[in-house]
Amino acid sequence: MSSLSSVEMGSTKQSVASVKWARRREVAREVLQNPLTVIGLVIILLFLLMAIFAPLLTEANQPDPYQSPRDWANIDSPPGVAGHVLGTDSQGGDLLYGVIWGSRLSLQLSLTVVISTLVIGTIIGSLAAMRGGRLDNFLMRVVDVFLSIPELIFALAIAAVLGPSFRNIILALVAVFWVKYARIIRGEIIRVKQAEYVAAARVVGDSTWNIYRKDVLPNAVTPLIVQATLDMGNVVLIGATLSFIGLAQAGLTEWGALVSAGQSGLLAGHWWVSTFAGLAIVLWALAFNLVGDGLRDVLDPKTEGR
Amino acid sequence: MQVRDYLIRRLALLPLIMLGVSVIVFTLTRFTGSPVGIYATPNMTPDELAALEQRYLLDQPIPAQYAAWLGGLLRGDLGWSGVSVAPVTDVIGSRIAATLELALAAGIIAVLAGIALGTIAGVKRNKGPDHAARFFSILGASTPTFWFGLLLLVPFYLWLDWFPLGRSTPDIYSSLAHYTGMYSLDALLNGNLVAFGDALRHLVLPAVVLGFGAMAIIVRMMRSSMVEAMSEEYVDAARAKGLPERLVIKRHARRNALVPTTTVIGLSFGFLLQGSVAVELIFRWPGLGQWVTSAILAGDQATIMAYVLITAFIFMMVNLAVDIAYAYLDRRVVLGG
Repeated sequence: MSSLSSVEMGSTKQSVASVKWARRREVAREVLQNPLTVIGLVIILLFLLMAIFAPLLTEANQPDPYQSPRDWANIDSPPGVAGHVLGTDSQGGDLLYGVIWGSRLSLQLSLTVVISTLVIGTIIGSLAAMRGGRLDNFLMRVVDVFLSIPELIFALAIAAVLGPSFRNIILALVAVFWVKYARIIRGEIIRVKQAEYVAAARVVGDSTWNIYRKDVLPNAVTPLIVQATLDMGNVVLIGATLSFIGLAQAGLTEWGALVSAGQSGLLAGHWWVSTFAGLAIVLWALAFNLVGDGLRDVLDPKTEGR
Repeated sequence: MQVRDYLIRRLALLPLIMLGVSVIVFTLTRFTGSPVGIYATPNMTPDELAALEQRYLLDQPIPAQYAAWLGGLLRGDLGWSGVSVAPVTDVIGSRIAATLELALAAGIIAVLAGIALGTIAGVKRNKGPDHAARFFSILGASTPTFWFGLLLLVPFYLWLDWFPLGRSTPDIYSSLAHYTGMYSLDALLNGNLVAFGDALRHLVLPAVVLGFGAMAIIVRMMRSSMVEAMSEEYVDAARAKGLPERLVIKRHARRNALVPTTTVIGLSFGFLLQGSVAVELIFRWPGLGQWVTSAILAGDQATIMAYVLITAFIFMMVNLAVDIAYAYLDRRVVLGG
């Protein structure tokens, strides 16, 4: 008897899993129907390859690969001159090298910030929604306070206090970006908690933790996926702005810092440094925005973008 | 809930949130060793510094320090701005109008362009114009304002010399009576068209750069509200009446789609404020953003912290105004909760 029911349970589990996978395949097919999304995915893939194979594309500068090698004989070289495909800046730094190794910094920045804020925001938002009452009220007022300072300005103040370095830019962005996730997941959980299957699980006598883990969270994460995708681009945009203003260490191969390095040359007619470095930022942000926008259309029927 | 009750609730929360912001800013100032630098003016003797420490209770426990700092804040004492060599409060007064003028001009551009593009996209849903409008708005959201600004400087400032840097031509500016501190508005109030032209020539480029990024949010919202409005019964009814399609869109669909779109205008104003930091830096626009960037490079904490406080305050006020407008525009919305 007991063995029979466990077999039955197993097959239901299996069919639930296969339904899940079928749904995922369906979402993937729908997402890939949008040509703009596909373009975004291709750009992201190229950036990933660039970041992973950076040491093969250009030999790493010693001792710090995140400082461009200096070719003092060829400063301010236009693209194509003396083996510098994208030209050099006023310090003789090779721009192609900067763009390639900058992709690693962008990947590091966006992954660190998005993953850690996703975790922090989910924990805080879940606590607020599952516990409710005073804790919820308190946490949401904290969220209100954080949201009342524009992101970039908040991050700018934190990074300025911590001192100019790339690591501090990452810290500042983590301190600012968790808030949105906390608010989104709280709203979603409160919505999901009203569903019948959650009430059913409660009647059966599942523990709150089990209900949260099995029934609530999996049904509440969809908007987080969309937001996280968009933020992969936003984080790099804001991070680049901070290092453009001067909050990263000098000479870093970070794209915003490279635009800043080319700024003085720009008015002297050396257009290539700022232009190419900025183009890398635009392509990165554009790719994630296109994919995030496409995902939102498929996953969130409310916006009805199709 | 009545509109009035909702507004009272919003207004009651406002000081609470502002207090929260002040706690954050205060915490940040304690990261940097002795915060006496916030109040210190150049060439102070050690005795004078010690007097300052006593005055702001810096030798006392943290809660007492916070109380003293907050007390100063409420009296308008935000410390001494090293980069401007003046009290912070005075500098804010002289720079805030420049930033607001830029943000408002950019906001007007973003709202007008956003509504136009969003309307087209919503009407021509899933057709060429929709894809184009969508791509254009995503591009706006993906382009760093500082980079876009630099790109426009090369042709329009360097090559063509159409638009000058800064905010005004000094002799023209000094010939005006200043009522609002917003140069373009003051020129109009003076009835001085030459000065108004001068103001516009300085304002156009930074406002376009700033507005381009803020436009994306408005296009997106306007498009989806338009799509929704076009499927409503009143649109069918208007068509059945024999109204030309152009008027159906303009008088019925667009007018209704504008209501939900107002909600994101507050959001996009936050974008305008933060974008103004880089734009003011590039175009040498003498507002709060330019002030804070120079403060960052000089390590001037008093200025940075005052900047955070003032932008949070402006942002909250704009959002409040937008919420009030929305509440009156759409009585059907369920408020609060």
